[in-house]
Amino acid sequence: MSGNGRDGEVVVIGIGLAGLVAGLRLAEAGRSVRLLAKGVGSTHLSGGTVDVLGYAPARVLCPAGALPEFVAAHPDHPYARIGTEVVGAAIEWLKGRMDNPRYVGDLSRNFLLPTALGVAKPSAVAPQTMAGGDVTRGGGFAIVGLPGLKDFYPGMVAGNLASAVGVAGEVIEARPVEVDVALDGRADVGPLAYAGRLDDPAFRAQLAARLKGRLGEDEVVGMPAVLGLADAEQVWEELEARIGRPVFEIPTLPPSVPGIRLYRSLLGALRRAGVRVAIGGEVVGAEIDGTRVTGVYTDAANGARFHPAAGVVLASGGWAAGGLEMDSHWGLREPILGLPVTAVPEGVPRFRPGYFDHHPLARTGVAVDGSLRPVDGDGRVVFTNVRVAGATLAGAEPWKEKSGDGLSLSTGYHAAMSLLAEEG
Amino acid sequence: MEDLIRASLDHCVKCTICETACPVAKVTPLFPGPKYEGPQAERFRQPTGTADASVDYCSGCGICTQVCPQGVKVAEINSRARARYKDENGVRARDRIVARPGVTGRLGTPVAPLVNRVMANGAARRVIEKTIGIHHAAAVPTYAGHSFQRWAKLHQRRVPSRPDARSVIFFHGCSVNWFEPDLGRKVVAVLERNGVEVKMPRQGCCGLPLQSNGLFDDARRALGRLMRELTAGGGDDPVVASSTSCGLMLKREGREILGLEDDALSALGARTFDVCEYLLDLHDRGLLDTGFQPLAMTVIYHAACQQRGHAMGTPALDLLRLVPELQVIQSDADCCGMAGTYGIKKEKYDIGMAVGERLFAQVRRVKPDAVACDGETCRWQITEATSQASLHPVELLFRAYGLEL
Amino acid sequence: MQTVETEVLVVGGGATGVGVARDAAMRGFATVLVERKDLAEGTTGRYHGLLHSGGRYAVKDPRAARECAAENVILRRVAADCIEDTGGLFVATPWDDPDFGDRFLAGCAATGVPVEEMEVAEALKREPAVNPGITRAFLVADASMDSWKLVWACARSAEQHGASILTYRQVTDVLRAGDEVAGVVVVDSRTGEQTTIHARMTVNATGAWAGKLAGLAGCRPVDVIPGKGIMIAMNHRIVNTVVNRCTMPSDGDIIVPIRTVSVVGTTDSPVIDPDQLEVTQAEVDHMLDEGEKLVPGFRQARALRVWAGARPLFGDRSPGDDDTRDITRAHALIDHAERDGITGFVTITGGKATTFRLMAEETVDLVARTLDPGNERPCRTAVELLPDSQSEAYYSVGSRLAQREAHLQDDQLVCECELVSRRDLEETLARRPTANIDDVRRALRLGMGPCQGGFCTYRATGILHRQERLDQSTANGALLDFLQERWKGVHPILYGDQLRQARLDDWLYQGLMDVEHLPDPAHP
Repeated sequence: MSGNGRDGEVVVIGIGLAGLVAGLRLAEAGRSVRLLAKGVGSTHLSGGTVDVLGYAPARVLCPAGALPEFVAAHPDHPYARIGTEVVGAAIEWLKGRMDNPRYVGDLSRNFLLPTALGVAKPSAVAPQTMAGGDVTRGGGFAIVGLPGLKDFYPGMVAGNLASAVGVAGEVIEARPVEVDVALDGRADVGPLAYAGRLDDPAFRAQLAARLKGRLGEDEVVGMPAVLGLADAEQVWEELEARIGRPVFEIPTLPPSVPGIRLYRSLLGALRRAGVRVAIGGEVVGAEIDGTRVTGVYTDAANGARFHPAAGVVLASGGWAAGGLEMDSHWGLREPILGLPVTAVPEGVPRFRPGYFDHHPLARTGVAVDGSLRPVDGDGRVVFTNVRVAGATLAGAEPWKEKSGDGLSLSTGYHAAMSLLAEEG
Repeated sequence: MEDLIRASLDHCVKCTICETACPVAKVTPLFPGPKYEGPQAERFRQPTGTADASVDYCSGCGICTQVCPQGVKVAEINSRARARYKDENGVRARDRIVARPGVTGRLGTPVAPLVNRVMANGAARRVIEKTIGIHHAAAVPTYAGHSFQRWAKLHQRRVPSRPDARSVIFFHGCSVNWFEPDLGRKVVAVLERNGVEVKMPRQGCCGLPLQSNGLFDDARRALGRLMRELTAGGGDDPVVASSTSCGLMLKREGREILGLEDDALSALGARTFDVCEYLLDLHDRGLLDTGFQPLAMTVIYHAACQQRGHAMGTPALDLLRLVPELQVIQSDADCCGMAGTYGIKKEKYDIGMAVGERLFAQVRRVKPDAVACDGETCRWQITEATSQASLHPVELLFRAYGLEL
Repeated sequence: MQTVETEVLVVGGGATGVGVARDAAMRGFATVLVERKDLAEGTTGRYHGLLHSGGRYAVKDPRAARECAAENVILRRVAADCIEDTGGLFVATPWDDPDFGDRFLAGCAATGVPVEEMEVAEALKREPAVNPGITRAFLVADASMDSWKLVWACARSAEQHGASILTYRQVTDVLRAGDEVAGVVVVDSRTGEQTTIHARMTVNATGAWAGKLAGLAGCRPVDVIPGKGIMIAMNHRIVNTVVNRCTMPSDGDIIVPIRTVSVVGTTDSPVIDPDQLEVTQAEVDHMLDEGEKLVPGFRQARALRVWAGARPLFGDRSPGDDDTRDITRAHALIDHAERDGITGFVTITGGKATTFRLMAEETVDLVARTLDPGNERPCRTAVELLPDSQSEAYYSVGSRLAQREAHLQDDQLVCECELVSRRDLEETLARRPTANIDDVRRALRLGMGPCQGGFCTYRATGILHRQERLDQSTANGALLDFLQERWKGVHPILYGDQLRQARLDDWLYQGLMDVEHLPDPAHP
């Protein structure tokens, strides 16, 4: 049964940041887009910031300055493939579309924002609700703990924050502040549940009242990232006004409320732009005609469903998402289109014994040309109408570089631009 | 071979995405969440028997499986665990009753006016709540007083058979048969308008409510019977279903939840389509009559949980967008809270209403002319909760064709 | 330096050591046990958890078979709470000679191992995942045993009878007074504090390390060969019965359902140093292939973790004999007074977890004869129930789930995979304060589930930091140590689902939390 494809439709596979961005960019330019995903993706697990380049391997304070040297040293890195100007363009594009909350920052300077462990992590772009936590402000930080929230330990955050290294010898004082609010008979209240509560003005008032008297005059208040789901900016501004101090959010372990906000904003935009989104049916194969993919199959309840495609954006994720797979005989593969996957050299162990070592498997993935078309070991383009974006790409170690969001955003953006360029 | 549904728990990486999507866990601490009940607890379960009563609070909506990015069959694991729990601990009389709409339908129809009056009577409902356990305010359907099959038999005699025409087998389900026969007639009319011959064999319950109440053996028998009834005429005509929940039973739940590895069932499932799915496919092939009159209405379309389980996109939405002047707003809620027979139960009613509140609030805010939904129990729930008219998307197409019953 | 005086000093905190300490304390001896790390950190904590029926040795090693059969019954009685009555199957796969089954039956009969031949169809009904091509099946009384639970129960019982159990005490010196072993000097590896312990009798219960300690005591070499064996834990219980191959013992011929996982094992290769146990790619591939023979589709299942333990193998060995499997698995009790003219020192080595109680009994019999000749001090460990086994009910895999049901709303889950609650953690920390999350893991199974600490490492660190009032540097160290500890056991088996998990965990710890840049307060 056909998937009622429209003429010239682009199929985007994957609903993580790369897929969402590619789909929206294409739809904005008037292309007909169908987005297929086997489930919900990376946004819910990420911190909600856009980390472009944090460590190269030394800490990066100015991504714009560090990127040229970085891509020169890593010519196979996706940033090298697409060119660093794209990164800046993609960032401005995204900022123009986010309003719950607005996003701030650019490539000229990384924020140094506290993580849930109190480490000052470099992020180029962040939600407004987080930017106030930049450690370079120095001074006093009060880290708030909420009862029942087992994925946030203000003691750990404050303890490490106090030793955080800024840029100019800033002195930081940090302390935990445990707040008492009603739990309504639960022992376990997760980030999403708290965000729901914070959407309620009465709860906000209660929280502010409990905090108000306990803060030092120059202290900035660090909260776990639960400042509302529906309208984070309003919640944040109101809390600041009530408490009378700057407030910032700190990303928690999943579920990530800021990530979910990002997802909902982009998904809403996609739907309004007429993109047809289908979640739940996994893409299980493709129809191939020489060097073109003519359509993909999803796994519907009554069998395989065909979706004709004029172009395909493969944003199916990396090893964590199953966009890249390794079986028990150590064979690597890309399961949807069967694209060639770069390999670990013969005789080299895939993983090293030290947890923080560089593991040879880390940089494997699908290799691409400057237009993000997949290429084989000889550099030949495998499919002319396919673009690969996000964690599926070879050449990066996003969790070490702190570049994952930047990669997904810029390659998703570039994949769309590249397909649009083909039209003309 | 190890059971593949249970083995799918291996894919769980504890990402919590299913928990963020679960509409029940969001509103009640009594249900610890799909990750907990599914892949997590399953590692602690013996082949026979399971230690957790909390699994019964799962509504069976299936959203968890749909959003899981790793392919864990969360809802299916939960359903099976619930059945095992009920096996060990017994199924109460109420559940046995509500699980058999085919039987209650048949018994209630001859005395429909009386039953309807009783079910509309507040005092009587409170007695029923106390004795049987159906909540006094829960949305229950009204008996039509006559069955769809009676009309169908007559209709098939009237309409000449055209051997060269496209034909389908209409799987109408218990709700159309006993409670909404007019809907059935409209489905037939819309299909016939498009040159489709509609065969309507005698048929019973698909067994879905038996399954969701943990009565797996009975469910298997019912599904087996239905299968034989639908294929009694021979041939391989597609089956068209007007209920997205019942259609899903044929498509995959019989296999994935009841564990029926049956070639005949698989073959039948592969040619089963939801009515909107079927119509949209006609449209894709240029075979749909798109001569729709304008309908100046605003409608909220709610895709029922099990509609999404079909992984067929939203064909109803795409079809409604073909009707001039019809404003369709897609609901942003996940679940109406009824989830089949879940929301009518005394101990689950409040949970169901809390789950559906987001949808009800949107309906109250938008004040549409109608709410369109392809799930019958959802329609009844929405109307009861918001006093807003609800209808199957096909009814709008019927109207737009200018047809009348 | 502190000095402690006691009668019986036990060195080694594995099953044998705590068994000896308990038995000695129950017989009225003042007893101290020292263990260089956490209890059961050595071999006892690194095997698959099998409570032998004896079937495995029925043909090859009759003495071991007989002992196992007898101890199986005894342990089921006194340690019921630590044992899950899974039952065991011996199956002849298509790679095994069906006639071996007759030798197997004969061997069981001769050694008192209860056995019953089953219809293949019955066996497959009981365990549908097993290879449908099996030709014969036998039912035995194998079971699975939680070794940490067992060891801590013995330790608690020993303490109840007045013994002192001291962990993280490394023996640095064995004190000799002429031809007598007078005691040891230990250092607390956490604080550096030294203690001298004087004892009338020192029992060397260090298992695979026995040769090292005997050497330190100045004895003639005690030839204990560490026989390395690797095991792989699979994410869920693919089988609920212990499944053995009905053949002479070989690599990868057993799958044991233990708690929430099933463990396939094992290999057997001699190593020099029981502290250097490397897991090789070839060994992993081998285990997966063998698992596939017993359970087709095994390679599609999720492998959680791989580790190695060192069996203590003591016995005559010809040069060039690479397969240490031929050495008897029965134990050896060495009275060094007799063997070396050195009094006050005995070594108990060899054996297996199933026979730990018997090993302890024989050892304390010798100790009692030596220290208190002429007085009857009977052993009661075969009749006295261990603490928590008082109800005589076996452990069941669903018990944690049932416990959790009772506290769904009033207690948080810290380790969700293994259903470890916050209260469990806080209570355990109160009883046994530690800054080492691996200790917590052994006590509660925290971090032993599918995510291998992905979520709970962070939570446990936060709770430890708070409850124990750890300074930041120690808390950070605990987190980093546990991440490395978990990595050690997953990186050799990272494929399929576990690779996805590891990548997600990396994303959380490195990408989201930037754990590798935790500040080092010593170097600002």
